[in-house]
Amino acid sequence: MASAGSGDEKAAAAAMITLISSDNEKFEVTEATATLSQTIRHMIEDGCTDGGVPLPNVTSKILARVIEYCKKHATAAAGEEGSSSSFSDAAFLEVDRAFLEELEEFDDAFLEVDRATLFDLILAANYLDIKGLLNLTCQKVADSVKGKTPEQIREMYNIVNDLTPEEEAEIRRETQWAFE
Amino acid sequence: MPAGKGKEGAPTPACSDSIGIDALSDELLQHIIGFLQAQEAVRTCVLARRWRNLWKSAMRVRIVADEDKFLGSVEKLCSFVDRLLQHRRGSTLHTFDLVFTSFGQEMSACLYKDDYSFLKLVNDWFWHAESCQVQVLFLNAFSRYIEDPSLLLYNKPIESRHLTRLELDGVSVQSRFLDFSNCPSLEQLEFHNCYFSDDSRFRIRAPNLDSLVLAKVWGMIPVLESMPSLVTAYVATSMESEDTCFENDCACEFCENYYKISGGTDSCVLLKGLSEAEHLTLFSGPQTYIFKMDLKCCPMFSKLRTLVLNDYWCVPDDFRALVCILKHSPVLQKLTLELSSEKYRQQRERKGILAPMEGSAAILEHLKIIEVTCDAVDERICKLTFFLCAFHICFTLN
Repeated sequence: MASAGSGDEKAAAAAMITLISSDNEKFEVTEATATLSQTIRHMIEDGCTDGGVPLPNVTSKILARVIEYCKKHATAAAGEEGSSSSFSDAAFLEVDRAFLEELEEFDDAFLEVDRATLFDLILAANYLDIKGLLNLTCQKVADSVKGKTPEQIREMYNIVNDLTPEEEAEIRRETQWAFE
Repeated sequence: MPAGKGKEGAPTPACSDSIGIDALSDELLQHIIGFLQAQEAVRTCVLARRWRNLWKSAMRVRIVADEDKFLGSVEKLCSFVDRLLQHRRGSTLHTFDLVFTSFGQEMSACLYKDDYSFLKLVNDWFWHAESCQVQVLFLNAFSRYIEDPSLLLYNKPIESRHLTRLELDGVSVQSRFLDFSNCPSLEQLEFHNCYFSDDSRFRIRAPNLDSLVLAKVWGMIPVLESMPSLVTAYVATSMESEDTCFENDCACEFCENYYKISGGTDSCVLLKGLSEAEHLTLFSGPQTYIFKMDLKCCPMFSKLRTLVLNDYWCVPDDFRALVCILKHSPVLQKLTLELSSEKYRQQRERKGILAPMEGSAAILEHLKIIEVTCDAVDERICKLTFFLCAFHICFTLN
């Protein structure tokens, strides 16, 4: 079983997929990287990736970031790929703790973006169905509003309060148990 | 989350600087709300009209009771959660977190025995989540103020097609609860600091698990029934368990040098259920005898590729336990020994790489790496090195 799996993985690593951003830029990535996206995985399974995969909802700027994330995390999923050539089975050994730490550091650095980019990444992660990236980016937004008052949150994210004062008072009455 | 939903036919504007939180669909906003603690999630209802009801059907609810914080008293916690669940009206839940770890002494007492009405409420919430088709359920009631974990869960099995992951910390469980055979999707099960029973050995039946954690068992260590799809398991037992013998000069068959490796008729408690795993961590306190007892009828670990052991398995000059488990692990590739030494403070990691000698034992033909983590090279490590050499493993410390 181990040797069959290793063969498959090598084949997957060799297969390349072309992703095309909304502004027509082409990105060539390995299948292992691309299939972190469930959306693309399904397209590959359906055999409709010849000639490239058009992604009309994702700009080249954002796609480049998404690919950066997927590359890093695909390596993690495959183990320490290529780290020790003498042990062909080394990829099957448990992923190192040091590597997991490195991954966390990568994620932290990855999230150092402005808010607009963060929302673009959320939209792209959702469209491409990349669970890890979606959770990472949504968690980041949630963390940023932790401990903030509704007024502060509105200001932070330019949310226009379209409730009338009466409506707001009513809602606050209904949910008083969560405010005090 | 389904792909391509939301803004149909409206590609992301090329000028992304204009994008704000309003560009996200309701589903995505609810996903974000799910990462907030419950009271903050509810408070998003006053942000704007669009936000008014979003929290009520967020897929994740996270309740964290913190002393001196918002949910800092039992009364507050109870009335809050009751209202929250009332407003949600049984909306589908993906993840439910109940975290009571930061309770002070007084509140912890309520979790314990003094207040049965509170126990009933916590159980109500727990089982309510089950009825909301919860997939991931965390209940963490660990408290540093309470010696025995005793938040008692009702003695009935969970029956859910949806539950994939259950993590319990600091709760007390009973025999029927441990039957997960009606949870066909349950793949990940974790017990930390859980209290089983003092006078009968329960059985954990979870046939579809791929990952198991059993850390710090109170009471008698439960029997693990067959888990054919198990991939990873972490089991750490120590002196909290009843299966521990503290008598120094005791001559019971499991103590110190009196235990026997083979010939026993006792059925396995832990090892048999773990025998399908590919990655195992087996830690034990020195006086807890379950693993040594299990070795009397040691199963074959026919898929085991990585194994992590602690001091329990390497007590010079008696390496029978270590030899036994290695002999029963024919495809083992990496062995890690995490050894601690009180004598030395300096923390160093030593990696040894195997270079099999000619005619090395066939049973270990796949073993490629032995890693020893230790505080310092003391006499014991030297003996271990010497021993591993004798066992046809040439072992080097860099």
